[in-house]
Amino acid sequence: MAEADPQAAPRVAPKPRASLWPGVAALVVATAYLITLLAVERQQLIMGLLALAIVAFVAASWLGLLAPVIRSFAQRERALGALAILAVLAVAGYFREDHFVLLLLVTVLLYTVACLGLNIQFGYAGVLNFAGASFFGIGAYTSAVLNAHTVVPHLVVLLVGGLLAALIGSLLLLPVLRTRGHYAALVTIAFALLLKTFLEVNDVLGGPQGLQVRGMQVLGWSFNDNISIGGIELSFYMSYLALSMLLLVGAFILVLRLERSWIGLNLDAMRLDETAASCFGLNPARWKITAFTLGNFLIGIAGALFGMVGGFVAPNNYTFADSLILVSILLLGGIGSPWGVAVATVIVVVVPEKLQTIQEYRFLLYALLVIVVLLFRPEGLLPRPVRRYFPGWRQ
Amino acid sequence: MDAGLIAQYVMNGLMLGMMYALVAVGFTLFFGVLDVIKFSHGDVLTVGAFTALATFVGLSAAGIRSDLLLLPAMLVAAIAAMAALGMLIARCLVLPLRSAPALNTLLVTLMLGTALREAVRLFYPQGANPKPFPALLPAASIPLGQFNLRLDNSIMLAAGVGVIVGLQLLLNRTRLGLAIRAVAQDEETARTMGINFNAIVLVTFAIGSALAAFAGLMNGLYYNEINFGMGLLLGVIGFTAAIIGGLGSVYGAILGGFLFAALQTIGAVALPFGSAYKDVFAFAVVIVFMAWRPTGLIQEKISERV
Amino acid sequence: MTKTPLLQARGLTKRFGGVVALGDFNVDVHPGEILGLIGPNGSGKTTFFNVVTGIYGIDAGKIAFDGADITGASPQAVYHAGIARTFQRSRLSLPLSIFDNIMIGNHKRLDQGLWFNLMRRKAFRRQFDESYRASRALVEVFEPRLADKLFEPVGNLPMIDRRRIEICRALINEPKLLLLDEPSAGMTHDETSELMNDILQVRDKHNRLTIVLVEHEMGVIERITDRCVVLNFGRKIAEGRYREVAADRQVQEAYLGAAA
Repeated sequence: MAEADPQAAPRVAPKPRASLWPGVAALVVATAYLITLLAVERQQLIMGLLALAIVAFVAASWLGLLAPVIRSFAQRERALGALAILAVLAVAGYFREDHFVLLLLVTVLLYTVACLGLNIQFGYAGVLNFAGASFFGIGAYTSAVLNAHTVVPHLVVLLVGGLLAALIGSLLLLPVLRTRGHYAALVTIAFALLLKTFLEVNDVLGGPQGLQVRGMQVLGWSFNDNISIGGIELSFYMSYLALSMLLLVGAFILVLRLERSWIGLNLDAMRLDETAASCFGLNPARWKITAFTLGNFLIGIAGALFGMVGGFVAPNNYTFADSLILVSILLLGGIGSPWGVAVATVIVVVVPEKLQTIQEYRFLLYALLVIVVLLFRPEGLLPRPVRRYFPGWRQ
Repeated sequence: MDAGLIAQYVMNGLMLGMMYALVAVGFTLFFGVLDVIKFSHGDVLTVGAFTALATFVGLSAAGIRSDLLLLPAMLVAAIAAMAALGMLIARCLVLPLRSAPALNTLLVTLMLGTALREAVRLFYPQGANPKPFPALLPAASIPLGQFNLRLDNSIMLAAGVGVIVGLQLLLNRTRLGLAIRAVAQDEETARTMGINFNAIVLVTFAIGSALAAFAGLMNGLYYNEINFGMGLLLGVIGFTAAIIGGLGSVYGAILGGFLFAALQTIGAVALPFGSAYKDVFAFAVVIVFMAWRPTGLIQEKISERV
Repeated sequence: MTKTPLLQARGLTKRFGGVVALGDFNVDVHPGEILGLIGPNGSGKTTFFNVVTGIYGIDAGKIAFDGADITGASPQAVYHAGIARTFQRSRLSLPLSIFDNIMIGNHKRLDQGLWFNLMRRKAFRRQFDESYRASRALVEVFEPRLADKLFEPVGNLPMIDRRRIEICRALINEPKLLLLDEPSAGMTHDETSELMNDILQVRDKHNRLTIVLVEHEMGVIERITDRCVVLNFGRKIAEGRYREVAADRQVQEAYLGAAA
């Protein structure tokens, strides 16, 4: 090949950009399905709907209908992302007076933020964190304490919750930075178990009953009051939903940019082969602590908001088992895949709430499900694709 | 403080140390032969304890009252069942994931542990509540000055020592033990020497799980109570003890178990509100120790070739 | 004209338990030369690489590179000083793309700051474009067929192409010293020739590139290297041009066993 002018564009015939429509179609179907599922009450109908979803997914996969959707999302990300936000708002709008459903949606949004944080630690950097729920709880307890005893503005409280979780996390990880992966696992599991005991023993933090959390107030607007605009009544959870949505969009963009950067590359390189990465100048300790801290920051903020949404915090909501649920979400959705995390969170949070019969069994069921996934499809529902620094960019 | 109280603490520490050591040895054996961290180990202990309890309940209902018959029956049932469970886990979960990243095995066993724990909670009658465990050892005690030496604890300690000594003999004096140590050192060479790798792995898992069952039974007899979550903390402590001693070293695991119990005892004695914070104290010390000496007291085996 | 050696090792000793992997090893690598490092399996060649790049600590001895003492330096420091390497058993990140793998080697030229990567996307885009052109140019030297497939996962490539990419990873940041550990393992005679020609082609472009090459194929050593060093059981047993070294009796015994 003759000496190519490095400034000239590579001479490859550009493939046409993927169509927007498969993605749009998928979003419309998903939105309609979700609204139906959330609206229905009878258990048999719900079971039927769930079975339908599984069958439809398998059939779509088999018929090759999934690939165009995935391509569509991969290359037309901005447009479809905006549409996805609209879809969530549409669902929220449909249930605008239904406290229960809106609370469920807010829970999904905030859990997704937390799992995105966990994904940075686990999925990108390979740092095992089995205390995700504990850091979520630290954020929530921060809200409880600060809202009750100080005049710190509530938006700042969110930040403090994130920073506190990040700080405690780094203290926990520092001693085991230069050791092998299972040490981090051990340290976080021990932390998860011991934090719960610590909270139960300390009456200052409410003991086993926990603490009440004052609702959010921003510039005089109280989030805990129902809203009426014109003739339309909205549940007070709408305010929280709007804020959670903002938080999620911010977290999502952060995670996507992080992955599509040299930092994302460093994290992957370090996770896959620490020794080789070191030989090319990478400092594993630096990147592990960066990823862990950043992840916990997200988890803490989400937890702080969650505390205010729920109105109370108790040690029993942030146990080791809950941390494992977060890990299950990550593994089900596809480790390292933000869209996968979002989809998996919806499934893991919504299904037990709707199918009351399995509520009691959810820890067992998710544990078994993850075992099956790890044995037969370890990449998860939406496997993480090869890194594309700029979606839609072609060589 | 008086000698009687000190002796009490020492006895308690020894009992705990023994139980931790038994669990830790399991972890170290699994890591040795397969480079896996089997996080379900603590929950196997729980299932073992519940198996023993179920055996007791079943046999008592059938009319058998003699302690001399019940206790051995429970022991045999728990050990046999857990050995079988351990082999099943190895066969179905651990061996198939050998070529996957080590993280996957860790996660799978962690989830399995949860599944076992939840299964006990959900499916054992009244599983969510603590269950009383029968006292089947002689309750007499021998007064030694200010201290009452309980016969049942002494028997358990002696039995524990016996088991550990037996394990050491097995590993160091028998052909099976030789095969296990060979596989732990170098799988490829062991295979070329004609050792049936899969069989050795299954046997190792069986042994480790049997040890857990024994520890579970001990736990039940000591506290006269078992609950579905008992294996969780014990598993974490056992794993920690194995790490302190250096993963892969059986002596290290035993040492680590007793060291951790010692730390807990010191914490309980020395700190105000000691009993609530003894675990935090012990773990904090361990974490600092890990920062200083990440490979443990006895070198963790390094399996990476550059 | 005597130039100061680029890499200078004196008295290097590395033990593993009772085994002496490197014993009192001395070597000078002159700037611009291609030095062959040969010896039977287990003679310490990879150990030498691991010691120089800081993966192993040293029990005794000193190493100097480009005037600076790098004894006991971390692998990161060694990389920043200008040494790059390949590995005997190919160590690429298989799930990552060809471009990603090459960029790992480019670490010191890429801006690693959080703010730059997350917020300054236009500047990042420029750096990305530059890096893409550079990797593409390098890949075109070694395997033009791959130049359009830079975003394929490396795990999909055959072993030979992976070895080529691993060399690209080492070359992308224009190191002063390149350590090649059996780069042609698994290749046919022709593929090896082609690979060596490609390496020489890159070397000609920036003639400061010094290479230490571990190889088993003696034809390659003879054709390419300026000098050789022979190791046996961790000790140097011969040094000089290939022809002289091949004729050395000690060397022949090391490879073939003592003559009857």
